[in-house]
Amino acid sequence: MDLIRFYVRKLFTVLKNEVIVLPSRVVVVVFFLFLLLLPVFTNNQYTLRIFTLTCIFAILAASWDLLSGFTGQINFGHALFFGVGAYAAAMSNLHVHLPPWASIPLGGLVAVLAGLIIGIPCLRLRGTYLALTTLAFPIILMGFVFAFPDLTGGELGISGIERIARSRVTNYYIVAGLMFGLCTIMWKITDSNTGIIFHAIREDELAVRASGVNTTRYKLLAFCLSGFFAGIAGGLYAHFMRIAGPSTLEVSMSFLVVIWAVFGGVATIYGPVGAVFILFPLLEFLRFWQEYRTLMFACVLIVILLYMPDGLFPWLRDKIETECPRCKIRNIATRTVCRVCSASLE
Amino acid sequence: MALDIIISGLISGSVYALLAIGFSLIFGVARIVNIAHTAFYMVAGYCIYFATHEMGFHPLWGMVAAVILVTLLGMVAYKFLINPIREHEGAVLIATIALAMALQEIMTLIFTGTYLSVPSLIKGYFLILDVKVFYQQLLTFFAALIALGVLWALLMKTRLGLAIRSTAQDREVANLMGINEARVAMITMGISVGLASFTGAIVVPLTILDPLMWMHPLIMMMAVVVLGGLGSLKGSFIGAYILGFAEAIVVFAIPAGAFLKGSVALSIMILVLIIRPEGLFGVTFEEER
Amino acid sequence: MKKPLVSIIVIVIVIVGVALIYYATRPPEVVPTIKIGVIGPMQYVQGIGHWNGATMAADEINAAGGIQVGEKKMNIELVQADSNEFINITDATNAMERLITNDKVDFIVGGFRTEAVLPMQDIAMENKKIFIGVGAAHNELCLRVAKDYDTYKYFFRGSPFNSSFLGRTSFIHLGTVAAIMKMTLNIPKIKVAIAAEKAMWTEPMIEAAEGVIPKMGMELVGVWRPSPIATDVTAELSAIQRSGAHIIFTVFSSSVGIPFARQAGELKIPAVQVGINVEAQKDGFSQATQEMGNYVATLNTYCRSVEYNELTKPFVDGYVERFGETPTYTADTYTAIKYALAPTIEKAGTLDADALVAILENASYMVPSGKVEYLKDAEGNHLHELRWGPGYLTSLGVQWQDGELKSFWPNKWKAVPEAPEVTYKGIVPYKIPPWVVDAYKQ
Repeated sequence: MDLIRFYVRKLFTVLKNEVIVLPSRVVVVVFFLFLLLLPVFTNNQYTLRIFTLTCIFAILAASWDLLSGFTGQINFGHALFFGVGAYAAAMSNLHVHLPPWASIPLGGLVAVLAGLIIGIPCLRLRGTYLALTTLAFPIILMGFVFAFPDLTGGELGISGIERIARSRVTNYYIVAGLMFGLCTIMWKITDSNTGIIFHAIREDELAVRASGVNTTRYKLLAFCLSGFFAGIAGGLYAHFMRIAGPSTLEVSMSFLVVIWAVFGGVATIYGPVGAVFILFPLLEFLRFWQEYRTLMFACVLIVILLYMPDGLFPWLRDKIETECPRCKIRNIATRTVCRVCSASLE
Repeated sequence: MALDIIISGLISGSVYALLAIGFSLIFGVARIVNIAHTAFYMVAGYCIYFATHEMGFHPLWGMVAAVILVTLLGMVAYKFLINPIREHEGAVLIATIALAMALQEIMTLIFTGTYLSVPSLIKGYFLILDVKVFYQQLLTFFAALIALGVLWALLMKTRLGLAIRSTAQDREVANLMGINEARVAMITMGISVGLASFTGAIVVPLTILDPLMWMHPLIMMMAVVVLGGLGSLKGSFIGAYILGFAEAIVVFAIPAGAFLKGSVALSIMILVLIIRPEGLFGVTFEEER
Repeated sequence: MKKPLVSIIVIVIVIVGVALIYYATRPPEVVPTIKIGVIGPMQYVQGIGHWNGATMAADEINAAGGIQVGEKKMNIELVQADSNEFINITDATNAMERLITNDKVDFIVGGFRTEAVLPMQDIAMENKKIFIGVGAAHNELCLRVAKDYDTYKYFFRGSPFNSSFLGRTSFIHLGTVAAIMKMTLNIPKIKVAIAAEKAMWTEPMIEAAEGVIPKMGMELVGVWRPSPIATDVTAELSAIQRSGAHIIFTVFSSSVGIPFARQAGELKIPAVQVGINVEAQKDGFSQATQEMGNYVATLNTYCRSVEYNELTKPFVDGYVERFGETPTYTADTYTAIKYALAPTIEKAGTLDADALVAILENASYMVPSGKVEYLKDAEGNHLHELRWGPGYLTSLGVQWQDGELKSFWPNKWKAVPEAPEVTYKGIVPYKIPPWVVDAYKQ
């Protein structure tokens, strides 16, 4: 009993002292509650579907950020990991009858393999070379998909695979839970020593190498980690849509990931996640004017970027929070003195 | 068969060269990865369709109008959409993707997604060594060569060309030397989009128009640029013919695998890059710091 | 200065959020109509066909006072959903879910790209809504009905009939044209080249063709597989010409049908084209090939001036008058609504899907393109697949003759030797292109 009381009290203290003081943390908590309670407020299958897909793509966008945002290895072919994950999960489910809980991680692992395969030749490439080269990989794989139609189903894809769970709500909770878990893991990775090295590689690879870090290994690690998470997203997508087809490998898919991540703000993890939660429902919301839907979507992108070229979320965060110049602790923008060291924030 | 490969390779090579050099130019001068490059090529095609089919002009006037209009469009887009965020690489990237999407949607709204075509300038074909060649193909090939020649003269023989080349080499120093860098970038964007629309104009009679037609050449163009070495015009030129011939060889040598031509060309690009990470003629510059 | 900005942003976010949730979950309006969702790529010819056919059917039914459901008359209300399926499959499934969940439609017609229709079918089946597929020809859609009847029984094929029947019909066209060539030009043994786009649905057809063509007394000289989106097929064409083929058996559903026809016409390749070329079924084909697609023949569903039965003329003429173009097979949403759904609802007197399925799967009714009956598989399971054959659906063999689409088949066609001859009203003779005649005239 005492233990429970202790934890409850601790929760309140944490809430009061660590969460309420910062709007960005409040937003995260509210967002979490929103996801948790969404099925309570609406039982609308369509809404649940949209948010399930949003969660899947949020994992995908965050995994892109992990690779490209943090290490600066711009990957223009992220659809490769997504598609490989989707195809691997679909094939293992259909041919080997692996249940979804096994086939989805398997999809992730196969995507890691894909990450290694493309990572190794790409290690010597830099910047725009890398970006434009990675663009080619999903297209080459698409050639294979069409070359072995018996295995991959050609343009029809692999259909008839199992659902993750029978009901839409369970589906939603599983995917949302995974999204939260995986994004937290990614965020933790970027916060760890490894993450700092990733950061440093983007800023100045030469300096990192000079300080005795094997950057090649870290870059390969970034490819594999990113591939793993993207592959899981692909597996989830295949099991949710119950089809894995060549559309998961299309160039437009790769572009979409980049759009989401850059729109939300790179090297943040929360930026791409938030961007997917804005942009994906936005595209659905625009259905009331369906002929002009994609056009308006493109215009919204351009306009927002003109004003916030660093991405939406870093811009917002800068507006509502300031960093204490002395102790580097973040404060709500309305404060005039730092909440920790009481230095002036003006 | 050898002749088939040569003709087909020369034509697609020239087309890729025109596109790639335009893309390479603006990348070199302003460090802009312009995904919308081939979208301008598509718009030029629709302009010609509109001029010839809806307004009844001769295709030649349609081509002239298309090149002028699309070049203006490109410069306006640069001025208002790309220039303000030029310092932010990621933002420029998706701004150009969004621009391409917007152009694609506008064309879909006006012309729907139906496949359309425009008439050739010269109809018919002739025989070289028993191989049938369209006059239009020959025309496209020579037009591409002429355009490349003019561009070469412009870059190598004029003061403007000198300014463009020096800005491409080192933007800051060029600025210090009194070159109006912003204006050079603007003009380069005009030249680059102009080349894209010119390519669209000479290619479109050989192909079909649809709002998604910018995707395939976009990928091939990027592959050419990377293969040849970023910022190297000579590299783009030679890379274009390598990939053009690679596609042609696949199509003619293994007809049952013709659908693989894109994959094979891209694999060649990756193989070359594994051996030479800076492309065939790319300058190995130490990392910019 | 900082405070108002923060509050403005917060307010904007809250308003957008509330609007989004309200929009996504708003209560449906209760109106006593039968809602039919029409789903398709609305910016493309296929989707436009879906929508046009459906509006025509709905207007005709509503003008006649609606559908008698039990005691009351109900009007049809159509809901358009742009599936955007050529560009984005996820979008297509979302559109489907939205139709069912938010627009609360009772029935759905449409769908085109098989990769999109398969998941769309899943969604409709989960919600137990009758979905009549108009556009996708793949067998798998109906095999699922037989495999898992309880889940998939709500799916029916609206058009076209499945790809094996499409293949069978086009072989008959091939045979017909070959006979004409042989007779007019005195060719001892006809050589056939197969040109099929590289796509899954063409594989069984090519396999069948490789077996059938020699049996029909012809020689197969080669198979060419251009990409479905190729824009230059001169390579394939030169090779085909060198192979000495008299007939090119085409299997195209994508854009490659246009450059293939255009370049073959422009290069005056001495071989006639027959088979399936979906692009050649459209009125825009003549423009798209710059009139070079003349003499191209393909399988088609409708053709101006050809009548399968007394229902054809009012439909085709009405459609042409209203929309200015010949209906293609995606416009069979008209048939799906007017001849499949409406009479079944009247007969059942209810909108209950299970009751309707039970009636529809055993129904047999006339439509503008023949007579519809649904097939069972070898074990007697329902497939909800359309029956093909004389007296039922046969489709047409059409040919572009001087800028107009004319039908040359069925012309005194006998499915089996003892069967009665089939000839529809308005059939014209097949024409061999003059340059082919010149090339082989002796």
